[in-house]
Amino acid sequence: MAVAAAVPAVAYVGPGAGFALVSSFLVIFVTLILALVSLLIWPIRTLWRVLRRTRRAKPTIRRLIVVGLDGQDPRLTDRFLAEGKLPNFQRLAEAGCYSKLRTTFPSVSPVAWSSFSTGANPAKHNIFDFLDRDLRTYLPTLSSTHIGSVDRFLKIGKYRLPLGKPELRLLRKSKPFWTILGEQNIWSTILRVPITFPPDRFYGAQLAAMCVPDLLGTQGTFLLFTTRPTGEKFKEGGMRVPLTGDTDGNGNGRYEATIEGPENLFLEDSPTMTLPLVIDLNGDGERGQVTLGKETVELERGKLTDWVTMSFRAAPGVKVNGICRMLLTETGEHVSLYMTPISLDPENPAMPISHPNYYSTYLAKLIGPYSALGLAEDTWALNEGVIDDSTFLELTYDIDDEREKMFFAAMDRLRMGSLVCVFDGTDRIQHMFWRYLDPDHPAGGDRDQAEHKDAIEKLYLRNDRLVGKVMDRLRDGDLLMVLSDHGFTSFRRGINLNSWLLANGYLKLKEGADGAAEWLRDVDWSGTRAYAVGLTGMFLNLEGRESEGVVKPGEEATALKAELIAKLNGLEDEEKGEIGITEVFDTAEIYHGPYKGNAPDFLIGYNSGYRTSWDCATGVVAGPVFEDNVKAWSGDHCVDPRQVPGVFFCSRPIDSEDPALIDVAPTALELFGLEPPAHMEGRSLFDTAQAKRGPGGES
Amino acid sequence: MSVLNAVLRAAVDGLLSPFRGLSPWVGLAVVSILTAVPMLLVFRATSNQTALAAVKKQIHAGLFEIRLFNDDLRAIMRAQLHILRQNLSYLRLSLPPMLWIVPPLVLLFAQLQFHYGYRGLEVGQPALLEATIRESALDGATGKPTLRLDVPDGLRVETPPLWIASESRFSWRIAAERQGDYTVKLGFAGQEVEKSVHAGERVVLRSPERLAPTFVNQLLYPAEPPLPGDGPFSAVSIGYPERALSLFGLETPWWVVYLGLLFLVILALRNAFGVTI
Repeated sequence: MAVAAAVPAVAYVGPGAGFALVSSFLVIFVTLILALVSLLIWPIRTLWRVLRRTRRAKPTIRRLIVVGLDGQDPRLTDRFLAEGKLPNFQRLAEAGCYSKLRTTFPSVSPVAWSSFSTGANPAKHNIFDFLDRDLRTYLPTLSSTHIGSVDRFLKIGKYRLPLGKPELRLLRKSKPFWTILGEQNIWSTILRVPITFPPDRFYGAQLAAMCVPDLLGTQGTFLLFTTRPTGEKFKEGGMRVPLTGDTDGNGNGRYEATIEGPENLFLEDSPTMTLPLVIDLNGDGERGQVTLGKETVELERGKLTDWVTMSFRAAPGVKVNGICRMLLTETGEHVSLYMTPISLDPENPAMPISHPNYYSTYLAKLIGPYSALGLAEDTWALNEGVIDDSTFLELTYDIDDEREKMFFAAMDRLRMGSLVCVFDGTDRIQHMFWRYLDPDHPAGGDRDQAEHKDAIEKLYLRNDRLVGKVMDRLRDGDLLMVLSDHGFTSFRRGINLNSWLLANGYLKLKEGADGAAEWLRDVDWSGTRAYAVGLTGMFLNLEGRESEGVVKPGEEATALKAELIAKLNGLEDEEKGEIGITEVFDTAEIYHGPYKGNAPDFLIGYNSGYRTSWDCATGVVAGPVFEDNVKAWSGDHCVDPRQVPGVFFCSRPIDSEDPALIDVAPTALELFGLEPPAHMEGRSLFDTAQAKRGPGGES
Repeated sequence: MSVLNAVLRAAVDGLLSPFRGLSPWVGLAVVSILTAVPMLLVFRATSNQTALAAVKKQIHAGLFEIRLFNDDLRAIMRAQLHILRQNLSYLRLSLPPMLWIVPPLVLLFAQLQFHYGYRGLEVGQPALLEATIRESALDGATGKPTLRLDVPDGLRVETPPLWIASESRFSWRIAAERQGDYTVKLGFAGQEVEKSVHAGERVVLRSPERLAPTFVNQLLYPAEPPLPGDGPFSAVSIGYPERALSLFGLETPWWVVYLGLLFLVILALRNAFGVTI
C-alpha cells in the first residue's frame, strides 16, 4: 500500500519501522565497513608481523590449552581418583600423564603463578608474597601493583580536571611466556592468571586478575547495611554501614543508607562519591526492592540478586560504574542487607583491567556482567559470619561459571596459539570448607550435620566435569594441561611470629603500647631486630634498608639470621605437642636473581596444620604465639612448600619425573618451536634431560 | 475514516498553528519531540526490553570481535555471521512494538506531508488545475463535455479548459492575484464540487488532490474530505510546488529532516525514559 502510494513512498515506511530498519542497516553497514577495513589492512598487518618476527617458529602443536585449578590438591585428587569419582581426570591421565607439580617458595598464588608465567624463581620476577612493606613506614603494600596518584589538575570552577592518569605499574618483572610467543606472532588469550594487573601488552588478549581492586580501592570490602548498632568492627574485608528507617509493624518499611564510593578526583580534596541506597520492604517483610541511585531491583530474603550496576557521578558527564550483588539477610526487628565488594564494571571499567582495553567490555557484552575484582570470591564475609556456607558457595560457583563461559568462548575462537585460564573457586572453597574435611579442626563444629560437609568433594567433581567438557572440545594438534599452583592442607593453628619475636627479645613495643594496634603501629623500631610481614616472610630490621633499621649488614645480620633460623627451625607447639615450623629458609641461599634484595630475609616453612595467625597477618603483636584457628577460613597452603605440591595433568605423556611449575613456561615456548630465553630456569617437560633444581625451583 | 481524518486534521492543524509563520524546522522539531516521547513509551511497554538489550550486546560483541581478531579472516567472517544473526533477532524483537507504533505514525505522517510537503501558490505564478471525470459520467459522449469552473476573487483563470479525452481530464492554468485561502467550484452534469487552493508561504494544510472516497485515498490524502462517491468527478488537483528544506545547503525533503530530528530526540531521551532501542 505504502509503496504504491503517490506521495513519497519511502516516507510512508514510517519512522517506527524505519527506526528498526535503519538501526539494523546501520549495524550491517558498520559491520561491512569493519570487515572491509580488516580485509584491506590484513595483508599490511601480516607483512608487518612477518617483518617484525625475529625467529621462524616451527610449532609442534596448534593450540596449547592450560586450565589452572588454583589449589587443587594431589592427595585429594588421588583419593577421589581411587574412588572412581573423577572419570575425566582419569581419562586425561590415561591419555597422557598425571603427576604432582612442584610449587614455588613460598607456595602462595601470586608467587606461584608469576613463576608459572615467567619460568623463573621469585628473585627474577620480584613477587615474593601478597604483601610487601614500605621501607620508610613499615606499613604493608601490595607486592605486585603500584597504584599512583595524580598531582596536577586544571581548575575549572568548582571542578578540577586531572592532568593525566594515576600511574599503574605491574611490579612483576621478567617476561611471561605469552609475551615471547606474541613476539613471534603466536596469539595467546590469558584469562584471570594472577598477577596480571595492570595487564601485559602483547599479541593476544588478557583479562587481569589478582590485585585488581574493587571500586573502593581495596582488595575486596563487602558492605553490611544494618539497623543493628555498628560499633563492632569486622576484623578484615568488611564494613558495617548504618541503615535507618522503620516498619509499620506489618512488615512494610523503608530503610535508607549512603554508600561511600571511590574518591572524586574532580573535586578539591577528593571527597568520596556517595550514592543513596533505599530498601523498601513490603508485605511479610520477606520481599521488597532495593534502589541504588536509579537502579531498582527486587529483593527476597535469603536470595542473592543478580549483578546490579551502580553509577557514581564524579562530574558532569563523568561517571564511575561498579557492579555488586546483594542479599537481604535479616528482616523483622532488625534489617540487614549484605553487598558483595563492588567490582569495577567490566563493561565500563574505571581503570584498565584487560588488554586490549576493550577486551573486558567485549567479554561483558558476550557473556554478561562478571566480577572483575582480583580476589572475587568473598571469603571475608563468610569468615565474619555475614553470609552462610550456601551463599558463599553460590557466589563462588557463579564466578566460576562466568569464568567457564569466557574460557569456552575463547577456546572456540582460538585457531592457533595458547589459552590459559585460572579458576579460583578451587582455592577459595578449600580455604573455607577444609574444616569439614579435617576431623580435628577447631572450626569444624558439628561437621557431620553440616549441609555442605562434602563441599570439597563436590568441588572436585565439578572440576572433573569441566575437564570433561574441555577434552570434548579438543581438536587435532591440541595439547591440554590441567594444573594447580599448589596443593592444600589444614589450617588448625595460627602462629604469631611477631609475638614470638616480642617474647624472645627481637621485637620491642613502644612505651605503654600493648601491641594490639594493627600493621605494627605499636612497634618501637629502634629496639626491634626482626619482624614479620605478609603470610610467609620475616625481615631483619636492617640498617640502611629499613628507615629505622638497627641491625648492621654483614656479620651482625648473618649471625642474627643464623640465630633466628636455629631457634625457629622445629618450633614446637607445646600445647598440642606438635611441630609448628618445619624449617626456616634463608632466602639468600634459595633465591638467585636481580631482585633477591627485595625478598624477605626468611621464608617460614610452617608445618601442615599451621600458618601465620590472623593477628600476625594484620600486624598485631599482642596475644599468644600459638592459637586455634576458629574461622571458616580453615584450609591453607602457606606452609612449607614441600608439603603442598600442585597437580599436573597433560594430554600427552611427559618425559619429566619431577615436573615443576616453572617448567610450564619453557615447555609452552618449546611446543611452539621457540627456544626458551636464558632467564627461564625451568626445563621443557618434553625434554628428558632434567636438571637438578634447588628448593626455589631454580636449576 | 472521514471522521478520523477530520479529527486528526483539526488536532495537527491546532498543534502547528503557533508555528505557521516560522521556519518549518521549528514545527518539525516540536513534532519530533512530541512524537518521540509516546514512541519511546510505547516501545518500552510493548517490546521485550531484556531480550533487546541482550541482542544488542551480542551485536556489540561481534563488532568488538572483528576488531580483536583482525588478523584472522575466518574469525572476522564468523563474527559477521554472528552479527547478522543477531541483527535478524533484533528485527524480530522490534516487530511487536513497530506494529503498535507504525499505524498512528502513518496517519501522522500523512497529515504532516500536507503541511510540510508543498509550498503554496506564489502570486502571479501559474499552476495547473485539473479535474478528472469518471468514464461512467461521460455516458459514451464523444465530443468535448462542458464543465463549469468558478474561481473567487484573488484567483484568475489564465487559459481556457484543455480537454484530454484519452484521460477524461480537464486542465486549466490558474494564478493567484494575492495571497490567501480560496475555494474554486467545478460543476458537471448538474453536480458541483469544491477544491481548496492556497496562495502564500506559510506552513498550513494544503491539499494538492481531492480524490474518490476509497480507504487508501482517505488514508493517504487526508487533507480534504473525499469527493462524493456517486458524483461525476474522480479527482480534482492543484499543482502545488513541492517544498524542500535547506540542510547544509542541500535541498532536503521534509520527512528526511523530521526523521533525522526524531532519531536525535529518541537517542537523547532513551536513557531518561529507560528504554532500550
